[in-house]
Amino acid sequence: MLTFWDSFEWGIWFGGHLLYSCGGVYRLASRDHAEGWLGTVSCEERALGRRRFWEEFQSEPMRAKLEGMLGLRGLAPVAEGTFRLRRCDLRNQAGKIVCRLEWTAVCAGAKGEEQLLHSCRVLPLLGYEAEAARVAQYLSGQGASAPEDEPVRVLLRRAGRLPREYTLRPAFGLEMETPAREAVGRIVRKMLEIAQGNMPGILDDLDSEFLHDYRICLRKMRSVLSLVKEVYPAEGTRRMRDALGDLARQTNRLRDLDVYLLARGHYLGLLPPALRPALDEMFRDFSAEREKEVRRTASKLRGASNRRLFLELTEFFAKQTPHGPAPAADLPVGPLVYRAIYKRYRKIRSIAAGIGEDTPDETVHQLRIEGKKLRYLMEFFVELLPDKEGGAMQKVLRRLQGRLGDFNDASVQQKSLLDYWRRKRSGSELGLGLGGLVSILYQNQMQARSLIARELEGFCDPSTAAAFKRIFKLPASAPATDGQRTGRP
Amino acid sequence: MKILSCYSIKGGVGKTALAVNLAFALGEAGHRTLLLDLDPQGAASFYFRVDGADKFRMRDKQSLAEGLRRNIRESDYPGLDVVPSHLGYRHFDILLDGMSKRRSQLRRVLEEFKADYDVILIDCPPNITLLSENVFRASDAILVPVIPTVLSRRTLEQLAGFFKDQDLPAKLLRPFFSMVQKRSKMHREIMEELPAEQAGFLKTAIPFSADVEKMGLHRMPLLAYARACEAAKAYRALCQEILSESGL
Repeated sequence: MLTFWDSFEWGIWFGGHLLYSCGGVYRLASRDHAEGWLGTVSCEERALGRRRFWEEFQSEPMRAKLEGMLGLRGLAPVAEGTFRLRRCDLRNQAGKIVCRLEWTAVCAGAKGEEQLLHSCRVLPLLGYEAEAARVAQYLSGQGASAPEDEPVRVLLRRAGRLPREYTLRPAFGLEMETPAREAVGRIVRKMLEIAQGNMPGILDDLDSEFLHDYRICLRKMRSVLSLVKEVYPAEGTRRMRDALGDLARQTNRLRDLDVYLLARGHYLGLLPPALRPALDEMFRDFSAEREKEVRRTASKLRGASNRRLFLELTEFFAKQTPHGPAPAADLPVGPLVYRAIYKRYRKIRSIAAGIGEDTPDETVHQLRIEGKKLRYLMEFFVELLPDKEGGAMQKVLRRLQGRLGDFNDASVQQKSLLDYWRRKRSGSELGLGLGGLVSILYQNQMQARSLIARELEGFCDPSTAAAFKRIFKLPASAPATDGQRTGRP
Repeated sequence: MKILSCYSIKGGVGKTALAVNLAFALGEAGHRTLLLDLDPQGAASFYFRVDGADKFRMRDKQSLAEGLRRNIRESDYPGLDVVPSHLGYRHFDILLDGMSKRRSQLRRVLEEFKADYDVILIDCPPNITLLSENVFRASDAILVPVIPTVLSRRTLEQLAGFFKDQDLPAKLLRPFFSMVQKRSKMHREIMEELPAEQAGFLKTAIPFSADVEKMGLHRMPLLAYARACEAAKAYRALCQEILSESGL
């Protein structure tokens, strides 16, 4: 019996491969069917226990291929079935093989109780296509019909697990004229659906990305409610924002621990080898705390109050739920969004103007938060942006946000490592390792700061400013002064 | 992609047996291999049970490459395709003669197959013509089977002389001993002397074997029906030696 494995995002399937295990051997095959329904095996590996992440595989080709298709994602079984495969060669009069016949019987379940498919394929050898076509024609004449679907897909369908593209940036089908409440509702409903889709993975603790994505969905929902203002009555909006904030807060600590544990290799790499063992204790503490935190978070997520919050969110944003009037509810969303984008951009430019060597960290954080709002706006409403310029703007913004993120990460990490040390206060070895790490993170933070200045120049330069103005500044607004048109304020 | 050719001026020295078994061993070792049977006798094609190639027009580089591609036949063995022999290849000479850069045209044609194969192995006709010269200029190595006899020694010297005359790099020539009979004193003596006189000798020698002669009855490579015999082991060793020397 074969067990097929893939990640939540179907990384292996969409990477053009199949991963299956049988009798303790994992095989990775390309999904090209040239050599049969189970593809062409490109690597295999004997494994005693279950493998979840690409790092757990031993052979280099397997690791390299899986790393690309899985990233941080974990493997879970997606279908099981019994494949019976028989092959035979058909030869011409000279005894040369001209094509191969492959019979496949696919059964669900370990004992092959239910036969799902019985098929025979004609696999021509290169240069003998005409002979193979004659064989296929003969078989059709005998009543054979072409299979509607490939066996692996049949098996997946039966398991109710058809591969689906997964994205955190879905299309919402928005237009300039879509009423704002309808637009925001669509975005929230979609993000809510994705958040809930990630919950089983968090409960099973399959990999760290379920929680990561779940939190992003919550943050995005919360964000869209404040970015496009006054589309629902104020009181309800506030209640929903609070609910989303509460939901996110429950998972803060677990996410922090995930981040530290994922960065383990990175942290150790920053330190000279002699200092590395000193951090073992800290990572052991983090792992132990994570064990507890996973259970705590899971019980919260399953809990009644959580279910109530989700129910409330679902009901509030349901299409048919009646709401009282709100100033922007029926306005077309396009102009609202354009105005909001332009406002954010100008705000970033005004903060950016004050950024220098000795700006306090808080100001840089403020800049990052404003940048994030702008990024979300442009992401949610990407369908309303002009293709070419919108893409270019997002690219510049992404680069800036990347630098700001580096800066923020380094600063937050220093703080939390020092917090850990203050709580712990034991062992000079650990102190030495932590001290080293904090110093390097500080250097990184300083380096990131100098890079931010460079990215800001690009983001705030007159041509980018002019482009933002041309596209997003609506005619109804007051005319721009010369200073705004030509340079940084 | 490497281009290797099996060549001998003299017939009956194990040239085609080399081409067939080396092609098999290369494919088995995981290298995508194309055996190009340019010998009009078509013995290599016969061993792989592949019929003669369909006729195609050879007007220029493009039509030649297309014609060869159309005639690729997948063999019964993993990783190995064959372009069978065709009597029309006799006209190669005339075709090449009419082309510009006529001495290096074949290399350009075979470059078209770079994406599909790791090795192209050519079974050459046993003569010196414009086609042979093209093969020489196309090859990364020319494998020359030499029976340790006086006559073979002489033909090897002739070939080396031709390379010198034509300004071809002598280091392309990679002779090796073929059909060796250890009990023959003359074989042993020549095997001692010749590698000192002629550079580039491969270390592996292929022993004489009745199993090799039965290839015609089996119509398959020796390695496919008598894997464990001495000659089969020697072909695999020769393949390994060539692979490690050619950096594949």
